[in-house]
Amino acid sequence: MQTIKLKIKDNVTSGVAKIPVEVDSLTPDNLVGKSEAEIKAVKVWWGNKEESTGDLFDVSVDGTAGSADEVKIVLDGDLSRVKRIGDGMTAGEIEANSNVDMHCGAMMSGGKITVKGNADCWAGREMHGGELVIEGDAAANLCAMYRGEDKGMTGGKVTVGGNADECVGQYMAGGEIVIKGNARMLAGLNMSGGKIVIGGDAVMPGADMTKGEITVKGTVQDMMPSFKLEGTESIDGAEYKKYSGDLAMTARKAKGTLYVK
Amino acid sequence: MAEVLIRNGVVYDPLNGVKGEKKDICIRDGKVVESVKNPKVIDAEGRVVMPGGVDIHSHIAGGKVNSGRLFRPEDGRKGLEAKTKVCRMQSGYSVPNTFAIGYRYAKMGYTFVMEAAMPPLAARHTHEEMVDIPILDNAALPLIDNNWMTMEYVNSGDMDLLAAYVAWIMKATKGFGVKIVNPGGTEMWGWGKNCSLNDTVPTFDVTPAEIIKGLGVANEKLDMPHSIHVHTNMLGHPGNFEITKETYDLVKGIKTSKDRQVMHTTHTQFHSYGGTNWGDFESKADAIAGYINQNDHATIDIGSIILGDTTTMTADGPMEYNLYQITGRKWTNHDVELETGSGITPFLYSGKSPVNTIQWAIGVELALLVKDPWKIALTTDHPNAGPFIGYPILISMLMSKKRREESSADMHKVIYDRALLPSIDREYDLNEIAIITRGMTAKALGLHEHGKGHLGVGADGDVAIYDMSPEETDAGKIQKAFLNTKYTIKDGQVVVKDGEVVATPDGKTYFVTPECDDKLTDEMMVKLKDKFDHYYSVTYNNYAVQDAYVPNPYEIKTQMRG
Repeated sequence: MQTIKLKIKDNVTSGVAKIPVEVDSLTPDNLVGKSEAEIKAVKVWWGNKEESTGDLFDVSVDGTAGSADEVKIVLDGDLSRVKRIGDGMTAGEIEANSNVDMHCGAMMSGGKITVKGNADCWAGREMHGGELVIEGDAAANLCAMYRGEDKGMTGGKVTVGGNADECVGQYMAGGEIVIKGNARMLAGLNMSGGKIVIGGDAVMPGADMTKGEITVKGTVQDMMPSFKLEGTESIDGAEYKKYSGDLAMTARKAKGTLYVK
Repeated sequence: MAEVLIRNGVVYDPLNGVKGEKKDICIRDGKVVESVKNPKVIDAEGRVVMPGGVDIHSHIAGGKVNSGRLFRPEDGRKGLEAKTKVCRMQSGYSVPNTFAIGYRYAKMGYTFVMEAAMPPLAARHTHEEMVDIPILDNAALPLIDNNWMTMEYVNSGDMDLLAAYVAWIMKATKGFGVKIVNPGGTEMWGWGKNCSLNDTVPTFDVTPAEIIKGLGVANEKLDMPHSIHVHTNMLGHPGNFEITKETYDLVKGIKTSKDRQVMHTTHTQFHSYGGTNWGDFESKADAIAGYINQNDHATIDIGSIILGDTTTMTADGPMEYNLYQITGRKWTNHDVELETGSGITPFLYSGKSPVNTIQWAIGVELALLVKDPWKIALTTDHPNAGPFIGYPILISMLMSKKRREESSADMHKVIYDRALLPSIDREYDLNEIAIITRGMTAKALGLHEHGKGHLGVGADGDVAIYDMSPEETDAGKIQKAFLNTKYTIKDGQVVVKDGEVVATPDGKTYFVTPECDDKLTDEMMVKLKDKFDHYYSVTYNNYAVQDAYVPNPYEIKTQMRG
């Protein structure tokens, strides 16, 4: 087991301009077995400049590992301008002990990321597998697709302890998203597979969905008129109305399911 | 005096009858010369040397291309490359940014590319983008067929006035030749319809056949370097091969003073379809190739499929709508006032699909079945059948039956029943490859008279040196060599070395200025100004592309014949 602690230096985040740092190179896959000195030399982007990790982070390494599975990266300090945490990771674990910037867990296919704060937009973008836990709130486009792509999240599991902003799981095709709080407009927009569970309230969920499943445990505001009531079903002891849709995508394609209390 | 000597290469220069001879090429001040005194020497020992490639049909600049980029940010993600000391940043695969277009073509040894569809009203935009494309010489073909002025003159039968209008459009747009796209069909699309070759376009009481013939006559009256360049009606419809053949027949009687075809039909793969629907869809490449083999007035380019995702874009609005209906993917449509229209939609060519498999076979079949390579050009109708970066794949398939067999084995099994490819043994040699990628294309465009597509004395010093022996038979190595040259030399300057871009000079823009009788022009102008006064969203005075938009001009003057 190798534990790598990376604490962002105060001077990186204290500037007026708040220049973002992109850390897609700091994944368990890339750091496995590397010594402290080697990790310090790994390049990361700070704005439009390529810098060494050691210049932006205090680095400490404990233990060694033979594979990325055995690597845990702990990110400390103010990470609110640190982007692409765990981008593309396939194994191992990352723990981020503050709010994080955009694209956390984007395109990850394995391993686990825990964010002990809020995550900015595009967390879990085009995620294929693995687990992303956001203990606070998630901003817009959680688990959505990059602009223009026709698939968002395709696998893995995402849990949000707080609320989620607009367009959760846009173009989602697989995997599971659980939001303990509320989801703003258009959760599951254009989704074609996978499962979204919203513990609180939702606005216009399931618009243009063609497959997959959305469950809203709170109240739904502005229910899409293009969903068809199929009957009722009991989930975990509670009665839900079961709808199919979205019929706006034509009856042939409307194979999505929406459960509403 | 900048001099270059390319020593000991095996030269393929088909326009000068050089078929793989060990030969030196001398360049002084950007032009090929007999001899040089104190040159920079480039050692091409045993390597394949060809004139710079000339692409006869590709969509590289203008409104459609740029809309394609805006509309497909996900395509921009592919092919990302950071800037270097020489190159600016690159993005995109099927719709690369302007810089990437220049660099990637140059790396394949191309030095001239024809933008194949310029809406006259968007000519300024097209030129702005062409200025931004590094290295490549270029030109653009204005769309003139679904134009109200054209249709009115075709209807009234005033061929001289039609020629005067075509002359004016060439000058106003700094265009190179007459482009025809689904004649009548794009006008009908304005009314939600499409039409075939002999249907009447009710708004102007003309048929597509009459439009093609009329523009064919006008083109030859103006002595244009290129023939009419035609995207025939009913693109992509099963059974359209009959319409394609009928289109060739239309212009059979038209005389030209030039040593070239009177009609070039483009992306012919999309127009060589048999069957009555997608269920019994089959290849009719043999019927089209048979016609081309028997007749000398028409040439074609293949528009061969490159498997994978691409962005289709054409002035054939109804066709794009049909495609969108099939895929359900995103689609955008544009109407260009009195002139033309366009549509864009992404498309995935899959080897698992029986239809795509047959389409994939047809392009290659056409190239193999047309016996005379001087009648056929290599294209992918970039990006419609696939991005131009796929040319090396096509070259390797044409040169290797083994490669075709291997590729066919990965395709849908329908290829063995409804395509001809598996039964064809022919393999291209390097001389034939040089013909279909530079010699024929330069000649069909009339650019061989202006130094393109050959290495004779006086020609442009545009040379591609491929890192392969002329005896190479391994398809993989051939493909690799044609993707990244050892050297690409443009006007005597090394622009690519060992597959890397090392210099990015500006290219020239070729355009034709046909002159005609003032009285004729004055008469035409009355009708034209009326169109501007009543229908155009811009005024006559603001329409023409100013000289400033063509900073590196190459003007070709012609005179209308009586």
